[in-house]
Amino acid sequence: MRVIVDQKPIPFAPGDSLLVAMLRAGEHPTEGGCLCLGGDCPNCLATVDGISYVRTCQVAAKPGMVVERHPADGYPLLPDDSRHRAEVHAHNHHCDVVVIGQGESGRAALAEAEAAGKQAIGLDVANGQEAIGIYSGPLVVARTAAGMLHIHAAEVVVATGAAEIQPVVPGSELAGLFTSRAAEQLTAAGLDLGRVVAVGTPPAGIECELASGDLLRFEGEGGRVTAVITQSADGSENRYPCQTAVVGLGLYPRDALTRMGHQLPVRAVGDATREADLPTCPGEGIICPCSGVSVADLERIWEQGFQEMELVKRATLAGTGTCQGGVCTPYLRSFLLAKGKTLQPAFTARPVNRQLTLGEIAAGAHHHPTARTALDGEHRRLGAKMERSGGWWRPWNYGDVWAEYWAVREAVSIMDVSTLGKMIVSGPDVLELLERLYPTKVSTIKNGRSRYVLLLDERGYVFDDGMICKDSDTQYTLTFTSGGSSHAEMWVRDWAESWGLDVRILLQTQRLGAINVTGPLANELLARAGLDNPPPYLGHIEATVAGVPCRIFRLSFTGELSYELHHPVEQSVTLWRGLLELGQELGIRPHGLETLLKLRLEKGHIIVGQDTDMDSTPRRLHHEWAIKLDKEFFIGRQAVLRTNKIPLDKQLVGLEMVGQPAGYAPLEGGVIWHQGNYAGIVTSATYSPALGKTVLLGWLYLQNGELPTEVEIEGKTARRVEVPFYDKEASRARA
Amino acid sequence: MPELNRLPATRIVSTALDGAVWPENRLVLRTAADELLIIPPVADVSSVTSHDPYAIVVEDASYAGVWLGADEAAAILRRHCEWRVTAQRPQFAQGAIAGIATKLWLEADRVLFVVPAPYAVEFEERIV
Repeated sequence: MRVIVDQKPIPFAPGDSLLVAMLRAGEHPTEGGCLCLGGDCPNCLATVDGISYVRTCQVAAKPGMVVERHPADGYPLLPDDSRHRAEVHAHNHHCDVVVIGQGESGRAALAEAEAAGKQAIGLDVANGQEAIGIYSGPLVVARTAAGMLHIHAAEVVVATGAAEIQPVVPGSELAGLFTSRAAEQLTAAGLDLGRVVAVGTPPAGIECELASGDLLRFEGEGGRVTAVITQSADGSENRYPCQTAVVGLGLYPRDALTRMGHQLPVRAVGDATREADLPTCPGEGIICPCSGVSVADLERIWEQGFQEMELVKRATLAGTGTCQGGVCTPYLRSFLLAKGKTLQPAFTARPVNRQLTLGEIAAGAHHHPTARTALDGEHRRLGAKMERSGGWWRPWNYGDVWAEYWAVREAVSIMDVSTLGKMIVSGPDVLELLERLYPTKVSTIKNGRSRYVLLLDERGYVFDDGMICKDSDTQYTLTFTSGGSSHAEMWVRDWAESWGLDVRILLQTQRLGAINVTGPLANELLARAGLDNPPPYLGHIEATVAGVPCRIFRLSFTGELSYELHHPVEQSVTLWRGLLELGQELGIRPHGLETLLKLRLEKGHIIVGQDTDMDSTPRRLHHEWAIKLDKEFFIGRQAVLRTNKIPLDKQLVGLEMVGQPAGYAPLEGGVIWHQGNYAGIVTSATYSPALGKTVLLGWLYLQNGELPTEVEIEGKTARRVEVPFYDKEASRARA
Repeated sequence: MPELNRLPATRIVSTALDGAVWPENRLVLRTAADELLIIPPVADVSSVTSHDPYAIVVEDASYAGVWLGADEAAAILRRHCEWRVTAQRPQFAQGAIAGIATKLWLEADRVLFVVPAPYAVEFEERIV
């Protein structure tokens, strides 16, 4: 059985970790450094099977494993894209108690919990379960070969034992240095350590020479230790030639997980609670091998005023590296004690305390799902290019945006608008609720009629728009933008509850499909579909279209004659296919979002979120007409009254490019300049074939109290004009 | 891979749900204090509307669902459910599963997974 280390096969014995296998073959996994074999130090890290920063002491050797040493300087290379990695799964477990560590104290804690009738889970790195963090919940996340464990427990017991203190003296970076436990493990595994000199507590069962005096340094040759140098009480130096140096400098609780669990039901047992042995404050050497922080660095930042543990960590990055303070924490504490005469606690610990792959981090995590309308399959079947918009997959175009455009302007077209927010509000207090929510006079909307409305927040800023449709004296249908629907639902529910109004609310966006039939031949198409008496402009009726029961709203976002057909979502495909078939002779074709954005811009219709900003008042949007300030109350009224008294500073305006070639449109989001000064930004832009020019909406700042009439965009002249750009009399939409 | 299908239902939003009576062969899910989902639909909702004339009653196929055996369901929950699902049966529960709002109807030997139909495809993809 062999593993491959830097392209060289080396044998291993059953039970060997990768590190033991390498040491058995005379290979050191890194340039050097004291090895602990306990997962506490950064001195055995290597890339294993393409994964960097693997603690080779914690991984059982398996035939064919490929180990690559990290570069002596710099970082290991990122894996290249050609390596396929399987998805890492998360496995959730729920229990009363999880015990991390299954040594003596861990086993006792597990037995105690089970004896008390609790459901308990024990984790141990020796069993391939490496706890990497404790999160609020508490949630313990552990890495295993089969994926990530997510353990949701009422209580977490940390029984991780204690780590051995590493040496910090000149020469600590040499190979051939081991902690006492490591030396014992290696000897038990049958490795010959050669001539051993021990410093501090000697290892059990190993023949060695015990160095007396304080450790001064290690001496070496060719990167390997050759001697231990100590200092006697009288100041004289002692030299102990060796092939292996073993240090027993004391123990330090492995309490990183406990510190992560601050203010959570997390407790430590056994050696994880022991009082830390404190090493002598070092005079020189590397104190944090991960971040390369030396004693001299600590001296310097102390002089600069960084004298608290948390500040020292931030100033030097000691403790933020691979071993997360496993090596440096005892020395940082002893340094600060020596300097400040106060023993400071260890710094805050946060997940994770091991290097994870992106797959391991992502295990069990999900991005927001993107909804699909009932017509999603139809769009894809028709070859639509699909885009995410407003939380939905929507057809951007069906391959020929200009053909779609002209179908709307000159014939008839349909669009899937099922994504629009649709809500029923019913109850004796419904009118009261809507009057308070909306800045329009809801009471003047008649049965069967609709009105375009803005939604304002308490600060008078526009956060959504839509329609109010009156169904009866005690029931209304509200519509919202596709992307704003969820927030609008919360808004309506919140206020209804806050005001204690007697209403029932149902968001039926997902229950109802909606297809917009638009174009000068829309009536002809609907007549072919069985609807001879469509509703008047801003009216709505119930009728059957192409065999599907619909609620038909007449309104227009495209600027053409338009009807929204709201219908049971399970019949969307029937209605869609029926309309396409009936419209064949009329030149029908579906249009996507790309076309809609052009059409609505020609009409100067705003899109909330694209043309509006977080501080868009009705006045800045030029939408004062939608606000009835003579109402006694509506959300945002006080703010609108107040902001109306402030001189106007900017306004959303219509612009058209002067003398530009067909097809040109400046970048949306681009800067508008006036006489060389910043004057605003473009929010929407398109070339309009119907108008033969490029039209835009944009925010324009007033200059000396006036809106500029001519500006520059992308180095070209644009002129401010009134909106709408297209069909100013609205004769087409109201036809 | 389990395939979710639309679940025709009656959906009611009302202040008078507590005393309502439904046929025994219906699955009645109380999804909110003022909201019920009855699968499959019912024709007679008078036990609600007689007490609440403002009740919203609609035919609703906006949810999709699939019945899975207890073992298969448990495996999915182990991988994709961060919250503790009650051991009681039968029981209704709801929360995020695989990052998608899900309703569960748990019986002794099987579980009904119900998600908003617009997320059904993504749900299927995620629980593979």
